[in-house]
Amino acid sequence: MIDLIISILRSGTPLVYVTLAGVIAQRAGVWNLGLEGLMIIGACATVLGIIVTGNFYVAMAIAMLLCMLASALLWFVIDRLKANPIIAGLGLTGLGIGGTALAVQAIYGSLSAVNAPIGVPRIGPLFGPFAPLSIFVLALPFVVFGMWVLLRRTRFGLRLAAAGEHPFAARSVGVNPSRMRLVALLAGGVLAAIGGAELAAGSLNLFAQNMTSGRGFMAFAAVIFGAGHPIGATLAAFFFSVVSALGIRAQLSFGDALPHDLLQALPYVATVFGVWLSGKLRGGLRAAGGGFGELRDN
Amino acid sequence: MAAHALACRAIGVTYGSLKALDDVSVAFAPGQIHAVVGQNGAGKTTFARVVAGLVAPSSGSVEVSGNSVLPGNVAASRAQGVELVHQSFALPPSFTVAEALEFGFTGKGALYSRPQLLRRWQSHLAALDVSVAPSARIRDLPVEAQQGVEIARALVTDAKILILDEPTAVLSPTGIEALFQRVRRLKAQGVTILLILHKIREVLAVADTVTVLRGGKLVAGPLPVADVTAPLLATLIVGEAVAGASGDVAAALGAGEISHTAHRGLDSRPKVADLNALSTRPDPEGPALAEASLAIRAGEIVGVAGVEGNGQRTLVRALAGLVETTAGTQHLAGVGSEKLTLAERRRLGLRIIPFERNVEGLSLTSSLWENWVARQLVEGKLLSFIAPRRIREACDRALRAWSVRYETSTQRAGSLSGGNAQKVILAREVDDDAKLIIAAQPTRGLDIGATAFVWQSLRAAAARGSGVLVISSDLDELFDISDRIVVMLSGRIVAEFTAPFDLGAVGAAMTGAR
Repeated sequence: MIDLIISILRSGTPLVYVTLAGVIAQRAGVWNLGLEGLMIIGACATVLGIIVTGNFYVAMAIAMLLCMLASALLWFVIDRLKANPIIAGLGLTGLGIGGTALAVQAIYGSLSAVNAPIGVPRIGPLFGPFAPLSIFVLALPFVVFGMWVLLRRTRFGLRLAAAGEHPFAARSVGVNPSRMRLVALLAGGVLAAIGGAELAAGSLNLFAQNMTSGRGFMAFAAVIFGAGHPIGATLAAFFFSVVSALGIRAQLSFGDALPHDLLQALPYVATVFGVWLSGKLRGGLRAAGGGFGELRDN
Repeated sequence: MAAHALACRAIGVTYGSLKALDDVSVAFAPGQIHAVVGQNGAGKTTFARVVAGLVAPSSGSVEVSGNSVLPGNVAASRAQGVELVHQSFALPPSFTVAEALEFGFTGKGALYSRPQLLRRWQSHLAALDVSVAPSARIRDLPVEAQQGVEIARALVTDAKILILDEPTAVLSPTGIEALFQRVRRLKAQGVTILLILHKIREVLAVADTVTVLRGGKLVAGPLPVADVTAPLLATLIVGEAVAGASGDVAAALGAGEISHTAHRGLDSRPKVADLNALSTRPDPEGPALAEASLAIRAGEIVGVAGVEGNGQRTLVRALAGLVETTAGTQHLAGVGSEKLTLAERRRLGLRIIPFERNVEGLSLTSSLWENWVARQLVEGKLLSFIAPRRIREACDRALRAWSVRYETSTQRAGSLSGGNAQKVILAREVDDDAKLIIAAQPTRGLDIGATAFVWQSLRAAAARGSGVLVISSDLDELFDISDRIVVMLSGRIVAEFTAPFDLGAVGAAMTGAR
């Protein structure tokens, strides 16, 4: 049982951080489909940073910086060049997946995984059987709660939401919606970098090409499933990782009796199901004023 | 001079080659109600937005109580106590009332709990006599309550100058009276108020001074209202050349005597549309129709009055077959039509001038001839042969007959002005085969000349034997043009009036007071 919980926390934690990045962007009116790209940039930069500097914290700082730069690029393309946010986000994802693969090849000349000597600091023996989990797992409840306070219980959160839902209303009270979007995307860059770092260096300490394998898109789905609410989206992300963990369990128990590919597909099937369900339950994000509509500014 | 609450010096605003405001210098005394009037396109809204800091002027400056304000900066204007209430409200629909008041607040308490937030704004709403629950969501509020909240939002900080941009456009007559009461109370508290209006009657009822804009230029003002008369004001608003040219012009300004068309023995004419206790599913754009019964006879103009969002859009969509009916029957030109598609209905003679000219009425990125011929193509066979050159020639003839000002039939519809765009729709929808013409807000956003043109066209269509259904939120318009008026409230048709119409009675029906 404890094994199962640990495996859920391990697979769920990176997903939740990236989901929170999506939530804050969604509040500001940006459907961030670049999450996958940000996450893999974070993962790659952390591992390479550790190899080069030998210090996790320096590596983490580099990863955050790179992800913020990538987010700033996304903001520039969407906000200043007026590109379609969906296309721009997908472009960032392509840039992330391709760029990290290229970086690893260029530096190490290999297509396979790169190992880091150390990873994210672990929470330690104080927590008994949970000792091998990383500090980011421990920090998660605080981050989620902090995010909820910031988005739902502060005037800043209201202004961010106003900028996302009705930019003209925000402008009318002297809030600059464009700047709000930048702030949200930069904060999202930091969160996605943590998600990527946790994925790569939270347990395995290695980076492999395309190792995010669609987790960024699952995080995006979790934002929709959770109706843009930080806690709802967190639960949605954990729902996906529970399904995924149970799939692995089933594989171990039943062996070849169940088709291997079907079990691997489970989390993605659950994602589709979750998005459909959220649409059924409360009109999905329409309730939160979202949808794929154009940014309204008049 | 510090004696002025607000002084504008030589303000100019240009959009491309268009001068929205041209060298406007005007000063307003404190503690009074100042009306700013003008036709559509006169620059009223631009003027309000410049003062509020939403639009940066290309020249000139704004001074509040003698202090010059950083131009084009909302925060700077708000810091000087200038607040603007928009014509179409600017509050995020998913916010609660308390959140909507909080997000523009600049005082202490940036971190809050939900009960704290509700308590903080409960008393503010009570003090302003806005009776809505602070926990209600903006999107669930009727339009009058939304305006109340918007005004309360504008007064969360210590506003010295409150600008209301066409606040009466969305209100019922009783709502307008309540608004004027509220404005007078604010004046008594020392707030300087700028009211952007376009009805002369309203100016004379509430304002202390009046300022007239025409074509972006200051024509007169601020004049004490005691010194002006309705005809003088009408002349100032439309200019010497146009004034008095037509009764429609005066009526469009809400100044003229309303000429009631006699009920022209229409009862014996055939019914072009007959709704019998029709109920529909709820529509995303408004409440469901509930047992709506309505008959329109050939040659008759029926007006639909009601505060916006009371099922007028659903009524149009039901007649067009775009919303599912759940009970009742409807007939178009004598044919049972509940199951018909829009194309089939159009073949029966249904014509629609839709609510949103630029969204539903025209494809702005398509050429004029494509927009013009769309109706005939929809009615025609799926695989009918199209000869663009011949259609363009026919289109040219039609557009000239409707005196559309355009360059070539291949230009995009988006390049036309509002009045000309509406004429293209009229050219498409008003023809000899039209049995029922639905005109939804046909004059919204049009200037006086275009408005009069639309009214004449609809009258002419009725005279040729079409039934006309006019939906409008402008009661003066309905009173002037309709033979009969029905009033909608929450998806029901709650009252019916025949000319001569009584403003009080219609207004009471609109708010359910009757």
